[in-house]
Amino acid sequence: MNLKQNIFSKDINVDVLISIAFGGTVFVFFACFYPFHLHYQEQEQLFLFSGNYFNDYLSRPGGISNYIGNFFTQFYFYAWVGAIIIAVFLTALQRMLWLTMRKFEDHNLFLPLSFVPSIIYWSLLCDENFLLGGLIAFLFVALFNFVYTLIKPAGARSVVLLFLLPVIYWLAGGAFVFALLFALTWELAVKQLKYKHILLLGFVNLIVTGAVPVIAEKFFLQYPVKRIRIGVDYFRFPEIFFPEIVLTGILVGITPLITYIISKRFKPRNKALVVALQLLIILPGSYKIFNKFTDIQKEEVMAYDFNVRMRRWDNVIAMADKKTPKSPLSVTCLNLALAQQNMLGEKMFKYYQNGVQGLLPDFTRDYTIPMITGEVYYHLGLINVAQRFAFEAMEALPDYQKSVRSIKRLAETNLINGSYAVSKKYLKLLQKTFYYKKWADRTLELMQNENSINAHPEWGRLRQCRVTEDFLFSEDERDMMLGLLFTQNKKNQKAFEYLLAYCLLTKDLKHFWQYFPMGQSFYTQHIPGNFQEALVYYWTTINKEPSKQIPFPISKQTQNRIAAYHNIYVNNMNAEPLLRKSYSDSYWYYYQFR
Amino acid sequence: MKKSSFIISLFILLVGFSSCNRNIKPDETKKEKPTIFPDYSDVTIPYNIAPLNFRIEEKADGIAVTFKGKSGGSIFIKGKTAIEIPGKKWTTLLEANKGGEITATVTVKKDNKWISYAPFSVFVSNDPVDYGLAYRLIAPGYEVYSKMGIYQRELSTFDQDAVLENTLLTGSCVNCHSFRLANPDDMSLHIRGKNGGTVLTTGGEVKLLNTKTPKTISNFVYPFWHPGGNYIAYSVNKTKQVFHETKAKRVEVIDAASDVVVYDVINNQTLYCDKLMTQNKFETFPAFSVDGRTLYFCAADARQMPMEYTEVHYNLYSIGFNPETGTFENKIDTVFNASEIGKSVTFPRPSPDGQYLMFTLVDYGNFSIWHKEADLYLLDFGTGETRSLEAANSNDTESYHSWSSNSRWFVFSSRRLNGLYTRPFIAHIDENGNSSKPFLLPQKNPDHYDNLLFSFNIPEFINKKVKLNIREVEKLAHTSGTNVAQRE
Repeated sequence: MNLKQNIFSKDINVDVLISIAFGGTVFVFFACFYPFHLHYQEQEQLFLFSGNYFNDYLSRPGGISNYIGNFFTQFYFYAWVGAIIIAVFLTALQRMLWLTMRKFEDHNLFLPLSFVPSIIYWSLLCDENFLLGGLIAFLFVALFNFVYTLIKPAGARSVVLLFLLPVIYWLAGGAFVFALLFALTWELAVKQLKYKHILLLGFVNLIVTGAVPVIAEKFFLQYPVKRIRIGVDYFRFPEIFFPEIVLTGILVGITPLITYIISKRFKPRNKALVVALQLLIILPGSYKIFNKFTDIQKEEVMAYDFNVRMRRWDNVIAMADKKTPKSPLSVTCLNLALAQQNMLGEKMFKYYQNGVQGLLPDFTRDYTIPMITGEVYYHLGLINVAQRFAFEAMEALPDYQKSVRSIKRLAETNLINGSYAVSKKYLKLLQKTFYYKKWADRTLELMQNENSINAHPEWGRLRQCRVTEDFLFSEDERDMMLGLLFTQNKKNQKAFEYLLAYCLLTKDLKHFWQYFPMGQSFYTQHIPGNFQEALVYYWTTINKEPSKQIPFPISKQTQNRIAAYHNIYVNNMNAEPLLRKSYSDSYWYYYQFR
Repeated sequence: MKKSSFIISLFILLVGFSSCNRNIKPDETKKEKPTIFPDYSDVTIPYNIAPLNFRIEEKADGIAVTFKGKSGGSIFIKGKTAIEIPGKKWTTLLEANKGGEITATVTVKKDNKWISYAPFSVFVSNDPVDYGLAYRLIAPGYEVYSKMGIYQRELSTFDQDAVLENTLLTGSCVNCHSFRLANPDDMSLHIRGKNGGTVLTTGGEVKLLNTKTPKTISNFVYPFWHPGGNYIAYSVNKTKQVFHETKAKRVEVIDAASDVVVYDVINNQTLYCDKLMTQNKFETFPAFSVDGRTLYFCAADARQMPMEYTEVHYNLYSIGFNPETGTFENKIDTVFNASEIGKSVTFPRPSPDGQYLMFTLVDYGNFSIWHKEADLYLLDFGTGETRSLEAANSNDTESYHSWSSNSRWFVFSSRRLNGLYTRPFIAHIDENGNSSKPFLLPQKNPDHYDNLLFSFNIPEFINKKVKLNIREVEKLAHTSGTNVAQRE
């Protein structure tokens, strides 16, 4: 027996082994190379173990798929669990399609084709806005298709089709058409019914199942007609629909018939060639589609954000040490981590800085940027701004879901503000979740005692940092906001350092020089390096008397470094490359070349 | 087989016996009233209101409540920590006790002991309340909005359904629903967003209006129907949101400019009055009198915004209006001078019987829903006196309010439950203008409000079900709509 026969022999369950290998690859991909996309997805929904939550989904076509998708997405809290879930579902889709194909033609010739819908959906899930509910919908369809082939009497199949298809519509939304498509192809293949009966069956089914969305949209569902017909939220933006979704559905529906026709009509003799041809199409196609939907840069931002969310400041800095971040949101996370570790003034220019957008990004009406920026405001003590950003981020979710991360943050901000009734409302919701229940229980218990909140290492400190005299927040005057925050609590070192960092990033050394003495008491032992660099640089621009000493304790090392920097700068026509080599971690380099 | 049948029969008998047992013998009797949510003790309710389901606000293994009517009838109901009163029995009990009183005795099971609390009263008014309420459900957010909608609720049952949800038109916002004298056949509401406009239903026809004219500073905003149905007064506002930084405050919504106009429904025209569109004043919140010959509105001296936002104080004014010609008189009267006392008036609402005008009073500005000090006030046209509705007000926000058709009930939104999520409260008001203790709109499940992440916004009484063909609205929203003309 040669290798070729060995692989495609029906006696050996190689197909099972290949499916397992496929599932394993999916698992490794998401667990090891793409875990933060899963964490990101987990935070953008609020799955509640409650009747109301279930009923809300049950009342919509495709809602059950969305519900099941959300149910499993909550387990993305641990990326490896999420990776297992996706691997199992994608493998299940492939297996069901494959088992269905085998009902048409009992050989392994077209095994590679059975992987195509799963590969497409794998790539789709690499985009953080594709939701698991879509995959669940296709699983429902694939399951129906397989079960349909098990029903032997044609009459029984017709009845099942007539009664089950509207159910499939309610479970899987518009994807039901692919089940109908499959059922008709099956009838064509098994030839138990006459053509006119098949046509009639298809027609009656379209009428019956088509009536369901019409009734729904007429009487109780206030969604655009298109959305009611599609049903399932494949993508977070419901108005956007991708051809890849239709392609997946069509492949789930008609792959068995296609392979059946090919093998009947062409009777391929060279089986290896057929497999090779399939791979020749599938592999480059997979590469192309993965290229379209994967985004490693986003994965990096999500990794930074996740570590910030989990308050793993060391991890953030370690990531930056490994590869300096360039995107504004990653830099925002890094700067926050540096501030949390009291290293902002010392090291911020060791890393790439992209201006104020890497410190306190502008507010945008989306569900990502306000969440990350809100983290900064939260840790600085601008609790109302953090609260607003968390709320806005949640409300910006285009699929009308709520965000568990936002709800948790809102519980915190209201707790810090002493709005216990509102905080309790959010905590009670979190008590209906799987992963946040314990935290909510503990927090509710803590809420019983004001002193416990005041003594809490984070909430107690932030309470102290809050502003006491009201002002209106102005994003156009972020430096002023930071200044007001600091002046209302002179112990808020982070607010002070952010104010200084703001001046440095905007190259506003005049104000930096003015502000620095207000918080000089933080640095009795040592002024952070980048602050020293800014002070000494500004001193060189304003001091007209060489004998006069800078009124701050600048280290000898900094003085020597600026002298050397200056030397290179004035003695080289093209000093930038030379300075970049030795001084890219200095404020001077940022000031002059960024 | 026989044994199992016997056990089942015995079980049924026991369950039946326990559920019929109206005489739980308490192991302990307390002198104080129970703490329940919602707080329905000593409230006055209409005889056609849905059951006042409530829960006990303490850890308990069971609750039993006996409602007893002074004029007859009783209901005994048990639950775990909450009760769900059967609708039919409730209706019968209220009918039998119209104009009277029912008492509720709550007994709570704790550690295998039944503890009885002092009974509380519920007063049943002879005055019926309207068919239902229409309100917007929206998250109490800032600038971004997710799912929201205008809903209607039948007051004698728990049935709620959507009038219009923003899910119908992706990315849109729906707001400012308004009805003529609680009649939903005449309705105005706005859709904001890409496919926006003012939805106007009147005479069985639905229109989508583009309401911005060269002479107005914005689309129509706050509406009020003329009782005759031929006009709707609107404000036009240049509105902005700003955000507070102290814990007690969140949002401030300010007008940088505003005017009042009247829309002529029959001729599809906007009518202007120079006195309602002045440069040096912010005019807003119009409301017609019951005879339709007076237009009330709020106005404040224009200030530099947002710098002087705390200096804006709206007074209540009126101007004569001739519905036959659609013209205004020249004279403006001051109805309530709030600025004199350092306050500001919002949402003037005359009662349908013409006796009173209710409004909200705040320290400054016009967006009272974000003001904790916002309280309801009543102006008595008979005596000219103005007073706070003490029984209805709380330490937190009371803002939007609406009169029932018979002027004996008013519904208002209040943040009193948790300081953020507004909830609808209904209170009785007698012929002398005295308000009863308000009651929270009852829900089938008393936990409903805990689970709900929406605020109740603009609660308005309706005398029948709103019928809006949403597919027609959807279709209209994808047309260019009807432009509103301006009267030359």
